[in-house]
Amino acid sequence: MPAFETFLQAIVNGLVLGSFYALIALGYTMIFGVIKLLNFAHGDVYMVGAFVGFGVLSLISGVVGAGWFGLGIAILVSMIAVGCLGVIIQRVAYQPMLSAPRLSILITALAVSLVLQNSALSLTDGKYTAFRTDLGFGGFEFGRLFISHQAVVLVAIAGLLMIALELFVSRTMYGRAMRAVSIDKDMCRLLGINVSRVVAITFLIGSGLAAAAGTMAGAYYGSIWYFMGFLIGLKAFTAAVIGGIGSITGAMLGGLILGLLESFGTLVPFIGSEWKDVFTFSILILVLVFKPTGLLGKSEVERM
Amino acid sequence: MKTTITAIATTVALGVGLGGAAQAQDDAIVIGVQVPTTGSEATYGQDMYNAAELAAAEINADGGLLGRQIELINGDSACDPQQSVNAAGNLVSRDVVGIVGGYCSGATMPTLKTYGDEGLPFVITASNSTQLIPANPGNAFMINSTGADQSKKAAEFFESQGIERLAVIDQGDSYSQDLADLTVERWESMGHEVVTRETVNKGEQDFSAVVSNVRSSGAEAVFWTAYYADGGLMIRQLRQGGFRGTIAVGDGSNSPQLFEIAGGAAEGVFAFSNPTAEFLPAAADFIDDYQAEYGQSPGPYAPLNYDGLKLLAWAMETAGTTDSAAVVDVLESTDGQSWLTGPIRFTDENTLARSNFIILEGEDGAWTFFDN
Repeated sequence: MPAFETFLQAIVNGLVLGSFYALIALGYTMIFGVIKLLNFAHGDVYMVGAFVGFGVLSLISGVVGAGWFGLGIAILVSMIAVGCLGVIIQRVAYQPMLSAPRLSILITALAVSLVLQNSALSLTDGKYTAFRTDLGFGGFEFGRLFISHQAVVLVAIAGLLMIALELFVSRTMYGRAMRAVSIDKDMCRLLGINVSRVVAITFLIGSGLAAAAGTMAGAYYGSIWYFMGFLIGLKAFTAAVIGGIGSITGAMLGGLILGLLESFGTLVPFIGSEWKDVFTFSILILVLVFKPTGLLGKSEVERM
Repeated sequence: MKTTITAIATTVALGVGLGGAAQAQDDAIVIGVQVPTTGSEATYGQDMYNAAELAAAEINADGGLLGRQIELINGDSACDPQQSVNAAGNLVSRDVVGIVGGYCSGATMPTLKTYGDEGLPFVITASNSTQLIPANPGNAFMINSTGADQSKKAAEFFESQGIERLAVIDQGDSYSQDLADLTVERWESMGHEVVTRETVNKGEQDFSAVVSNVRSSGAEAVFWTAYYADGGLMIRQLRQGGFRGTIAVGDGSNSPQLFEIAGGAAEGVFAFSNPTAEFLPAAADFIDDYQAEYGQSPGPYAPLNYDGLKLLAWAMETAGTTDSAAVVDVLESTDGQSWLTGPIRFTDENTLARSNFIILEGEDGAWTFFDN
């Protein structure tokens, strides 16, 4: 394949990967914004989303088929169900810990992660579940450049979700409240904003986006299992850090950048695909060392 | 941040690692079965465990071993080196007199020392990386053909298909890397070209970069040397990514599950296989018994694990004792008598003295016999 087509193919691959990272990174960054928690259970919420989406699709495929329409419904139902799960997790596990030291709530998040993972492990016996769809393997071919239909649609769905989120945050009352809460929670309370409801909505949306990513990834890659959220959760976290944790636009940007970097990283001679993860996490370390606030994050002054 | 990641890794490892089985009866002969019953390879592992259970039940119903009942303990290796060492330590501490199993060479490797230190007879039923051979302290016996036999079969197959440019993909663990290395070496020595050699990370789902490398290398065939769970994803993404050449997979990927994960993409894929039950003339009864007991067909390694347990029991019966040294002596002089998977005789390195590989082809969502 000529160099130019290789280059384009890497962009296409990077966009698909980046869309998944971005959708998950959004949850990390939004939740960090409102309660200053690195929600390490978020990768597992993505995993649960994949299983819920799979369950819904299996139930309805007899009626509507397992094509794009069925998958669309599965994504939607999974987003709502897992969004609610996110709110429950927040209410049960995080709410009581809000006034505790930061480390305690971080450990709680790890515990939630283990609970989700091991529940899925015992429900599925630790086996891979095949995520079957009727989406087919067709695609657009330009010379040796190949773009599958699935990739196009998935990137488009991810794009729409991100645009919707951007509009929600910038145009609606709750979006404005969310931004306000992330700046000064106490002041918001004084001004009569229902902070607890804003936090709940943040978990609803963040978890819903992860569920959408999980269902789409399941359909795209074709199999799901209980541990699928671990690595991608860490990578999405990396994406959120690159973009500047707390910044929504930053998370989208960070996701796409990380996807593209990984995709191009494997083209560099001597950095083969086996070095992909080393490459990703090296970027995380470099960002933390040289620009800890990320691309779009604001540096915060810790007030005593 | 670093501590957090370490903390996650540790807690996850601990959470997955805890497991157990019932305490052994006092007078029973306790044999450990080391197979992955959780994790990505759980399907094969459970099949293997079932087969050992079936063999033990047959022996017990027949009057037992040395007049005593056999009791099995599950040592779940999860196809993970760290967990398999823990599982092995657990088996040893529960006074097993021998071990059967070993699937995923990477996970089997570190347990060789654990069992070797105790001198326990260890019949390795599936793992077949050649790297296990020098690491064997002398108490382990491999009843599956090794990676060297498979790579020879693979290279001859690709040549017979008129292929010149080959891409080889492994997963960085000792089994798949070993098979890939051996195949690359043999393929090049036959005067052909390996156009790209790729390694993917375990647990990774996106192989798009590998797919574009394969396509840009102009490979006519891809040889995937690792396991079915990720193999299914790889085949799917190769086809999704527009690769139309020949795809063949190693014996870690010849599970029927491959079709579930890869869907239609696995049609026409070739697999190298150890003799699976359905292609073994002697295994008809075994298939029936297994079906009746577990309501499914035995996986590809079930017959080997069945033989493993029977072989170990035979060695103990012949030795007239469960004493490790005596049993190892008997195993060393195994006389080539015929078992389910064929005759077993060991080389000086305690490996099977013959090759048992066959070639399968994916057709209508199932493996069919292609050639041997």
